[in-house]
Amino acid sequence: MTSTRRLQKELMDIQTNGTPVGIKLLSADDFQTWYFSIEVLGETVFAGEQFALKFRFDQQYPISSPAVQFVVDDKYKAPEHPHVYSNGHICASILGSEWSPVLTVIAVCVTLQSMLASCKKKERPVGNDRYVLHAPDNPKKTRFEYHDDTV
Amino acid sequence: MNSDTYVPTVDDLRVKLCFICREEERYDAPEDPPRAWTHPCSCTLVAHESCLLQWIKSAQQDPSRARNALKCPQCGAAYELESDNPFILRLLDNVNTSLSIVGKLVSAAGLAGVVVSVGFGVYVICTSYGAYAVQEFLGKEMYNMLLTDDPSNWPWHAYINLPLVPISLVLSRTRFFDTLPLVPLFLAWPSSPPVSRPSRPSLASLNPPQPAPILAWPPSPLLVTLAFPFLTAVYRRLRARVKHWLMGTAPVPRQAVREVVWEIGDEPAIQARIGLAVDPVRQRRPAQGPQAHARDAQDPNADAAREQANAQGQAPAEAAPDEPARVAERTLRVTNASLGRFVGGALMLPAIANYMGAALLRLSRHSEILRRVLAVRASRARLVVGGWADALPGAEGGYLRQLGMGLRVALNLVAGGTRTWHECDPVWWRNSIGLGIFVVVRDCIKLLHLYLAKRELETRRVKDRPFVGVDAKELDLIYPRRAHVDV
Repeated sequence: MTSTRRLQKELMDIQTNGTPVGIKLLSADDFQTWYFSIEVLGETVFAGEQFALKFRFDQQYPISSPAVQFVVDDKYKAPEHPHVYSNGHICASILGSEWSPVLTVIAVCVTLQSMLASCKKKERPVGNDRYVLHAPDNPKKTRFEYHDDTV
Repeated sequence: MNSDTYVPTVDDLRVKLCFICREEERYDAPEDPPRAWTHPCSCTLVAHESCLLQWIKSAQQDPSRARNALKCPQCGAAYELESDNPFILRLLDNVNTSLSIVGKLVSAAGLAGVVVSVGFGVYVICTSYGAYAVQEFLGKEMYNMLLTDDPSNWPWHAYINLPLVPISLVLSRTRFFDTLPLVPLFLAWPSSPPVSRPSRPSLASLNPPQPAPILAWPPSPLLVTLAFPFLTAVYRRLRARVKHWLMGTAPVPRQAVREVVWEIGDEPAIQARIGLAVDPVRQRRPAQGPQAHARDAQDPNADAAREQANAQGQAPAEAAPDEPARVAERTLRVTNASLGRFVGGALMLPAIANYMGAALLRLSRHSEILRRVLAVRASRARLVVGGWADALPGAEGGYLRQLGMGLRVALNLVAGGTRTWHECDPVWWRNSIGLGIFVVVRDCIKLLHLYLAKRELETRRVKDRPFVGVDAKELDLIYPRRAHVDV
């Protein structure tokens, strides 16, 4: 199975080389769902906050993108960011139309970390409540429109 | 750079790392069996050719990712594909694209038509279309006899039958109504008496029309109508078999369409879920064959793409229920283009039938056999005007005789049709045959297109490039000195 072999290699890389600053592997018990914790370093609106990312892989990974979202439970909340819905779904082009197999789990984490770091003002996306009400469980089933990559 | 400068290629790398599957291959430990490597762009990324082709294919099938499919994610250089892409495939692709554009126009026109219809009444438009379809299909002569341009002459059932014509034509293209096509066009008309008879006694209209001979050529319209569902079923089965033979796939049972996605233009958009109960156990069970088909009603492009996917056996056997290919396969994608082609194509049928019938007629001037088969008749000059009033079947004899006569008339109606039909030039017959030929030819072209597209996919190769413009020191080469010296 291609996804397992590739994920094995990525996991091995994480275990031998470690993860970038602010990103920690919480669990990778199987090759379907992984969890990472993510912190934004330096002077940002999210200083001191910790978030968790959930990765779900299907068997076509890395041909098909992973389903990535922020964990929302008793312990973690989704960051208040114009591209992150309160249910944890993320509107980021690299998770959809800009996904490429050259990207890795860690590369996605780093990209999302810098997306949070560049945020100036804590706010939810427009239409958050409406989206959350009807959102599918898997964010990959949502078709996001990517218009603003500067936030 | 002068011409004898040595430019390293992917084969000169000490370690090749596929940027897609992340497998490594050292030059001194080649894989067995070997897999082709390619360096398709201007940067240092290399990949297994098979991995890259798989990525390209999957990306091309997703409209939102398609524009990135042939681009290096790192340096942005365009990949070059080489494949067996004959002129005829490119031609068919272009025809397909233009049909889609026409389809979009039809959709736009249809939308405008619906808006106008709200004012004028959908009914009127459907009825006019029905009358037009009857005229196209049965020929002017029949039309003038059965309907005429003046609605005040129309028999009552015309007001039910005619508006149903466009609807039945469109529905006949969906797989839910395999057996329906053209039925309303035919079913009522074979038993319908002419309307424009000047000297018809009112009594005669109460009596069954005078029967025509039982064994006639062409067969009666009613008989053809009854045989039609059978013929279509046989044809569809045959077509499916030819297709599977050609594409090298195995037939699989159809699965219910779970979702209809309406895509307005190229905008991603409204998802309308059809609440079809899907057995969750069945859904989780591994797919048995490579594909299920949400046939006919589908966007032909998506269709072809899916067909190609299973032709290569790429479709995952143990796909998870969430897996995009599986979701896509049970998703009916409705785009402006596909909708327009679907509806427009259906409504074109009478005109196509008419055109094909006329073409057959022209051909038949050169062939006696064809004239026979088409049962071409000069005109209705010898139609007996008084025919209706001549014999009033129920007028003489006892009840038994009357009953016998009634049965005979009914039998005749099925087998021979009414006198009107019998004595007219059977335009409807050559139109039916013409339409049949058209459908067969169209399906053959579609199959050819599918087959060529599949072959194109199978013969694809990504063009391998030397590392032009990449500093040789950045590359881990087997013979670094040689490259270094040469550069």
